[in-house]
Amino acid sequence: MGLEDKLPEGIVTTKLEDLVNWSRANSTWPLLFGLACCAIEMIATGTARYDISRYGSELFRASPRQADLMIVSGRVSNKMAPVIKRLYDQMLEPKWVIAMGICASAGGPFNNYAIIQGVDKIIPVDVYVPGCPPRPEALLYAMDKLREKQGRETFAMRRRDDIAAAMVAPQDIAPEGGSPIGALSGLRKHAPRIPEA
Amino acid sequence: MLNVSPRRREYETLPSLNNPAIPARAPLPQGETDDTKRIVERFGDAVIAAGLHNDQQMVYIRPDQLVDLANFLKTEEKLAYEALVDVSSVDCSKLPAGETIDARFHTVYQLRSYTRKRHLTVVCPADGGSQPVVPSLAPVFEGAVWPEREVYDLMGVGFSGHPDLRRILMPENWPNHPLRKDMPLGGEPVPFTLTWEDPEFETLGKQVLPAESVAPVLPPGMNRERMIVNMGPHHPSTHGVLRLVVELDGEDVIHVDPDLGYLHSGFEKTGENKRYKDFVYYTDRMDYLSAMNNNLGYVLAVEKLLGVEIPERAQVIRVIMSELQRIASHLFWLSTHVLDISGTGMSLLMYATRERERILDLFEMVAGARLTISYIRIGGVWKDLPPAFLSHLQDLVDLLPGKFDEYETMLTAGPLWQERLEGIGRLSREEAINMGLTGPMLRGSGVDWDLRRDMPYSGYENYDFDVPVSTDGDCYGRYIIRMEEMRQSVRILKQAMANLPDGLYRTDNRKVSLPPRAELDVSMEALIHHFKLMTEGLQVPPGMAYHGIEASKGELGFYVYSDGSAVPYRLHVRGPSFNNLYAISKMCRGHMLSDIVANIGSIDIVLGEVDR
Repeated sequence: MGLEDKLPEGIVTTKLEDLVNWSRANSTWPLLFGLACCAIEMIATGTARYDISRYGSELFRASPRQADLMIVSGRVSNKMAPVIKRLYDQMLEPKWVIAMGICASAGGPFNNYAIIQGVDKIIPVDVYVPGCPPRPEALLYAMDKLREKQGRETFAMRRRDDIAAAMVAPQDIAPEGGSPIGALSGLRKHAPRIPEA
Repeated sequence: MLNVSPRRREYETLPSLNNPAIPARAPLPQGETDDTKRIVERFGDAVIAAGLHNDQQMVYIRPDQLVDLANFLKTEEKLAYEALVDVSSVDCSKLPAGETIDARFHTVYQLRSYTRKRHLTVVCPADGGSQPVVPSLAPVFEGAVWPEREVYDLMGVGFSGHPDLRRILMPENWPNHPLRKDMPLGGEPVPFTLTWEDPEFETLGKQVLPAESVAPVLPPGMNRERMIVNMGPHHPSTHGVLRLVVELDGEDVIHVDPDLGYLHSGFEKTGENKRYKDFVYYTDRMDYLSAMNNNLGYVLAVEKLLGVEIPERAQVIRVIMSELQRIASHLFWLSTHVLDISGTGMSLLMYATRERERILDLFEMVAGARLTISYIRIGGVWKDLPPAFLSHLQDLVDLLPGKFDEYETMLTAGPLWQERLEGIGRLSREEAINMGLTGPMLRGSGVDWDLRRDMPYSGYENYDFDVPVSTDGDCYGRYIIRMEEMRQSVRILKQAMANLPDGLYRTDNRKVSLPPRAELDVSMEALIHHFKLMTEGLQVPPGMAYHGIEASKGELGFYVYSDGSAVPYRLHVRGPSFNNLYAISKMCRGHMLSDIVANIGSIDIVLGEVDR
């Protein structure tokens, strides 16, 4: 049928967006960056039993310039928050954030003067992982969810004005398939506030 | 300015119901010992009280004689308290006025004699009301420098004569001293009520940083004419969010100044707002690589105040867990240390974590969690060992020694490994004691000291094991010690398995541990105990206690001050990593930049415990 019948074996046609998303989803390099207990489970995810390299994410990059994914693995203190924000700002687009564990998601047991109640107060988060700390399997599941999300992204979503539009009326975004992650697909409601001009 | 919630959450503090005797002050020490007799003889009226409190030697001293007392304790041969283990403080403003002491702040010092195997607590009521000042002990014990900075930072007690008194954990421009009793706990008053519309978020994440146009302030003693390198808090080899400011001459390190507090989580303040039993879960998250040891240290301090007997079986289970955790922690230290140093040692990371996973499997078997276990509880352990546990443990115990040999063949005689570690980070015996180092850091410098053997707890006196000591004082010596410690832990495990008695796995003292579920159906008394424990919590008699255990990284101490209610009035943690990390500056000086990484690995820090 169609063009593919005419092409020799070994050649496929696809959308450029799908190709790009496919490559992004299969080599998401995380930032080498651990905060607290969850970092130990993050390291365990990288070791032989759980083997994060099955996802193409074993290459933890120490430089934010080379990383695609920030796994916020632990509680975020008031002193650390500016550092995390700067690291996030230094990462190149496209970039994603996983809030690993309840501390990074919502402050967890540390509802006190020292800890910020969820890293989403300072940077946008794509996937939240519950647990204290989450098991390595939970982190791998979060990576799965992230891949789903990466697979749905379009070039248009990355455009600034689209992001800004999404920020204006987040409640207007229709959920895709009812999944809470689908509801946020690609549209960064809490994206960095873009300065005028 | 920073928005710390001004609302004080009274519902978090649960005073005991309608008991007029609460809060109460800790009673003054009674009786006398040889040591306190000597001190009273020498200092006379300057000693406010001396004697025993909770079987602990304790001296209350007036601040003007504090430094003299420290000198006397250290130099007098018959006393020989060589090391200052810990400095903490108490804000007494919410306690009833004392009969003999009226100061708002007390500083509390824990001193240790390694030669005589004695422990002494010194309490010093501070002059100056709300702006207290106490003479610094840093000129006598170098190990007081950081703990005093911590007390200054969190409690606002000034130390006169301190060489470098500035904040250590909180950001430089933090508006208050959080551990003072008139400071609120902070956080969200009701979880999940703050929204993006809240004005707080306009500044969040930027509030504690100076404007970018302002040049960063250098730590005192650093020279801007040389190269200053910032290392961390985001750095692959700092084992967490440690920041080091390094002054370099070429590639030689002139000066290192650690900047801590990037993971400061307010454990102590949180603990003072939680009931005793609820803080066990927090201890897991301090040194997250040895959660069982943290549990054990905390419950032992509380049990000391309660004066409760722990059944034999629970003691042995605690020893098993504590030793398994020591091995797990050392395995993780080994894998990260090798990774830091060789860069290509990824294979050892894989091997060592493979064995560590086996230990985590055992933890999962007993408690359902891998890392934050909370298995050791006040009064015993959470549940009895499952039936299959011992056979799995036996498999592991048979497996481990061979694996340790395997690691050692990769490292011990390797020329690269020796080249990177030998002679690096050398500390003499005197330096190690004076800086208040503990654990493998202390033993690495030739001090034959292990709390398990020399001040036994949890029945460690019943086990036969050796304490490895190295006189080299360098990174290689500490490596050898930790490898040998793992072997000795296996030896203890074997003995514990062979001698595991039957019986209760937690105390049947119903004032401390809940009655079993079946008893509630048949016994009215059990129902009452259950209700009282659940609504009021443990009733801990007024007093203070310090208990130190030999955790995998050194002496882990908990200082608890009880006012008689179900919530600790003051809870202080002496983290071994915090005190050991102080040595980094001395260890790195004169070596190359790349040796800093070897030294950090050799100290074996966990930032959750350094910053608390």
